[in-house]
Amino acid sequence: MPYDPRGSAMGAEATQISALTAAAAHALCLAGLAVAHSLAGRGALVSDPALALRLLVVCEAPLVIVVFSLLRRDPKHCSFLKAAARGLLGLPIGALLNAFGAVVLGAPVGIKFWTATIYWSLLMSLFTFVPAACVFGASKVDWQNALSYSIYFTSSDVVEYMISVPSHGAVIGAWLGAWPMPLDWERPWQEWPICVTYGAIAGHLIGMVLSLILIVAHRRRVRVKAD
Amino acid sequence: MAAPASHRRGPTRGRSWPLIFVAILAVHSLAIFLFTRGFLLTRTELDLHSHRDDRTGVSPGCSSWPPPAVDRLVIVVLDALRFDFVAPSTFFQEKQPWMDKLQVLQKLAADEKKSARIFKALADPPTTSLQRLKALTTGGLPTFIDVGNSFGAPAIVEDNIMHQLAKSGKRVVMMGDDTWTQLYPQHFNKSFPYPSFNVKDLDTVDNGVIEHLLPSLHENDWDVLIAHFLGVDHAGHIFGVHSTPMIQKLEQYNQILEDVIDTLRSLSKPGGPHENTLLLVMGDHGQTLNGDHGGGTAEEVETSLFAWSPKTPPDAVLAVLGEDSCNFDLHGNEVCVSTMQQLDFAVTVSALLGIPFPFGSIGRVNPELYALSAGTWDNQKMDIKSCTPWNDLEAWRRRYAEALCVNSWQVKRYIDQYSSSSIIGFSAEYLHHVADLYSKAQANWSEALKSTCQLEIARGEEFKESASSVLQLQIDAYSSFLESFANLARSAWTEFDLWLMGTGLLLMILSVIAQGYTLVKLNSVCQPSDQKNAGVRVIPKLSLAFTLVAIRAASLLSNSYILTEGRVANFLLSTSCIAGVWHSVTKGNFSIEEFVFLLLNIFTRFGIEFGMSKQIAGSTATKEHPVSIVCDIFGSNFCNVFMAIFPIILLALVAYIVLKFSTSAIHERFLKYLIMSGTILSYAFIANHWAAESTLLSHPKANRDIGIRLAPRFVYAIGALSLAISVLCRLFGPVDCLKLNKRITSLSAAMLCSWSPTILILLGRQGSLVALICIIGAWCIIKLQQKYEKDLKLDIIGSCVVNPVSVTQWSLLAVCLFYLTGHWCTFDGLRYGAAFIGFDHFHIIRQGFLLSIDTFGVSHILPVLSLPFIAIYCCNMASKKSKVKDVTINILIQVHLMYGLITAITTTVTIICVTIQRRHLMVWGLFAPKYVFDAIGLLLTDLLICLASLYYC
Repeated sequence: MPYDPRGSAMGAEATQISALTAAAAHALCLAGLAVAHSLAGRGALVSDPALALRLLVVCEAPLVIVVFSLLRRDPKHCSFLKAAARGLLGLPIGALLNAFGAVVLGAPVGIKFWTATIYWSLLMSLFTFVPAACVFGASKVDWQNALSYSIYFTSSDVVEYMISVPSHGAVIGAWLGAWPMPLDWERPWQEWPICVTYGAIAGHLIGMVLSLILIVAHRRRVRVKAD
Repeated sequence: MAAPASHRRGPTRGRSWPLIFVAILAVHSLAIFLFTRGFLLTRTELDLHSHRDDRTGVSPGCSSWPPPAVDRLVIVVLDALRFDFVAPSTFFQEKQPWMDKLQVLQKLAADEKKSARIFKALADPPTTSLQRLKALTTGGLPTFIDVGNSFGAPAIVEDNIMHQLAKSGKRVVMMGDDTWTQLYPQHFNKSFPYPSFNVKDLDTVDNGVIEHLLPSLHENDWDVLIAHFLGVDHAGHIFGVHSTPMIQKLEQYNQILEDVIDTLRSLSKPGGPHENTLLLVMGDHGQTLNGDHGGGTAEEVETSLFAWSPKTPPDAVLAVLGEDSCNFDLHGNEVCVSTMQQLDFAVTVSALLGIPFPFGSIGRVNPELYALSAGTWDNQKMDIKSCTPWNDLEAWRRRYAEALCVNSWQVKRYIDQYSSSSIIGFSAEYLHHVADLYSKAQANWSEALKSTCQLEIARGEEFKESASSVLQLQIDAYSSFLESFANLARSAWTEFDLWLMGTGLLLMILSVIAQGYTLVKLNSVCQPSDQKNAGVRVIPKLSLAFTLVAIRAASLLSNSYILTEGRVANFLLSTSCIAGVWHSVTKGNFSIEEFVFLLLNIFTRFGIEFGMSKQIAGSTATKEHPVSIVCDIFGSNFCNVFMAIFPIILLALVAYIVLKFSTSAIHERFLKYLIMSGTILSYAFIANHWAAESTLLSHPKANRDIGIRLAPRFVYAIGALSLAISVLCRLFGPVDCLKLNKRITSLSAAMLCSWSPTILILLGRQGSLVALICIIGAWCIIKLQQKYEKDLKLDIIGSCVVNPVSVTQWSLLAVCLFYLTGHWCTFDGLRYGAAFIGFDHFHIIRQGFLLSIDTFGVSHILPVLSLPFIAIYCCNMASKKSKVKDVTINILIQVHLMYGLITAITTTVTIICVTIQRRHLMVWGLFAPKYVFDAIGLLLTDLLICLASLYYC
């Protein structure tokens, strides 16, 4: 097994996070989404996407920042508040990147879509950029590792799985979610950014489940190796 | 096939490579030929004609063709007459500027309800003028394949009204659109044809018609007069419906129609030449708000027909004319509108004029149009064998029922004849149903006839009601027979030959597999050693490329994605860019080209959306376009100046880039200076042409003429000349004085430089912007390819793998450019205006050639011709190794093969999709044009690749 190149100190830290902790962290994030959903009510995303997305962002943001700041790398040198500040800073930057990506892929830019686009990109930032910002800070190697698809083939540590798999899921889900938009079914949910949001959330949830599976599998492999 | 065989001889023989491409071209041509024969079959045209002495029907009253009801007929055809040009604006949700312009028709319809009527006429697609004229005169359903003949209309061989008129000794005068004289070369006594294909010309045809129309009305040497105006169609094509020229045209027509009506009225006194004349003002098809037509949308098929007879029929006519759609016009008068099928026109006119119905007509005599002519109400009482005199309405019904009886007999005769002479006719089940309807109706008729006279005497007054209801039942029975057959014909008239289609499709799939196999083989020959390692490195790229192509191909299965194909291609192109960015970020070497490429994607995307808004929504959508927003802010004056100057500035930039590029790329001195001077001259002429076209600067007239007419011709000539010279250089130039890489670079640069000015000028003002996008896109792709090579080089030395993602991006960019330049895959998406840049007169070969360069130039010709650059930059890396020549040629072949394969895959899927959707509602509006464009595109790509392989190897 290729050994983790980041050194033993980090490896030791990483092992402290059990699969159970990871599951709890994911469950907390999920709870944020659930609360937002119950506050907005059924079908709110279709009838008033801007409001529903705002609720999602407001409920999800503190949870994600707190949860992932607790899981931060190198907790001895980096306080909780610093990690949270990194997360807060990462939120608009990630939103900008996501919005740029969406526009490149063909998201409408008309004035009436602006608020929805802003909230959508904030939400996407929470799914993708903020967790990594909280945990990794400005570490280039970690970011590159998190972005790379090689984590699915080679083993890496638990936090990395927790961050990258759901964020990959969210991006791919959003990308797939854009597919029904040009169809002529004339359903209200085909509007930007409703189906893309559905896709992103679905992808994110699948990513969470997948990351837990990968973590457990990884643990087992490590244990077998150790025996 | 030949590909693997020639492959075995090995890549060392550069000469044998073109054979592969020739083989591919041949197989594709064969496959497409077979499929087209199966799919785009014309309806079998029966060369049978109706005759005056046909013994029609079985029953008394319908044993001969109906007697004439009008003596003379004036048909004024206004090309592309939308329904809302004629009907009062109160019939629509909101009043638009082009409505209520033909006031004289509305006024007449309101004031003389009994003798004038506005109809909504529903045409059948394809809604192109030629097809519609054919349908109007034959009463049939012309099929799609005729669209291709629209540029050179052939004479009609099927039975038609014109033939019957000539046979019956009626004299026909025609003026206007010269399509009529092409369709009916010998049927007119007098004709005044005017050329119809210069769409920029709004007035020649119309002025010609106006000159002859009123004088002709005073003359007595004709029975049927046809006047075909083209101005509205051309105004729509050039300016759109929402434009001043359109409104001016409509106002002009209003004046002309008023004169025509006044003249007819003054001559319609008893004993006058127009005592029993019918006036029809009609459109052949509608148009969208952009002035396009050809498809099957409501705007295109809804045209209008206005009928007026100077002689007023009795009051009972109001009972026949339905009052289902009545509304008050702007002056508070009630106007009623009826609906009819354009299919019914031929037979109704035949019935009115008393000529035999065309043999292949499948329409029904339209009751309302039939009733509007006073002649159908005459001479009834002596005609019928009733014992007591009937009132007007019953007599008319009787006469109409007789006409329908003949009508049904004629259609039944056609069905029988058609089923026996055509191998694949209608399905037996439906035929049985229709035959059943017919025999029921006939049985009814003889019943009705038998019962009338006996019962009449017995019952007297009481009988009358039942008799009229019997007649009504009879009319309903015939109508239901005719309607159900028309529906059957509409739904089933495209006879697909599934065998040929299947064979073509199979051949296509096999050729794609063979092509893929050759590509794989080629790849493995290239890498005798280190193959596995390289293969592993390539897999992610290959799978990304394959996924992109597969998604794009699969998207063609849905009509929504075909409509938004440009956006789909752009989405996939952006996806590949983002994947590239992702990849390089994980590697930690993000480069500026990637960012530029992303920005370019945004730009392309807006361009495509703008082009599509023209296609779908028309002028309403363009209001929200960024350009018009800028115009709102800075004022229209600034905007005009900007729009005139901006393309020329961009053009200078493009010229600079092209010159700089060609100086560095072309190494032969003679060729270099030649191409450079040619390029400079061409761009100067283009700038001159645009400056002359703009209205900002006032030019002397001669100067303007040179700019508009001569400059484009010079550009074409220079292009052709430099093309010829570069080919000659290739043939007779010194071969080995340069390294192969340099040689190929300079050859392809010469090729590009000779093609690009012609394509640029044909694209019009958007051309310079498009050229810039093209250049930047190509630059990005090549740079990224280089970067990829560098990455790879670190691991494996001496590999020469073409990056499949680059080639895929290249092809996606080509698709984007097609839509960006305002084309789309329908025949109204052709930019007919481009064919007349530099020329005023229509010539089929010359204009067809220009039009095809405009259509396929930027999306097929340029991308294929510039493919070597991908290969060359790949080779520059590999060239340090030995066996340079083999490797270079091999890579060149790989790139071309891959590009051809991508095109072939999409076309194959289009063919599959067309096969699946052949009964789809949109098949003629969307899938068939898409198929035709893809097939032509594939053959063109194959041909160009073939020529390129000959040229380079």
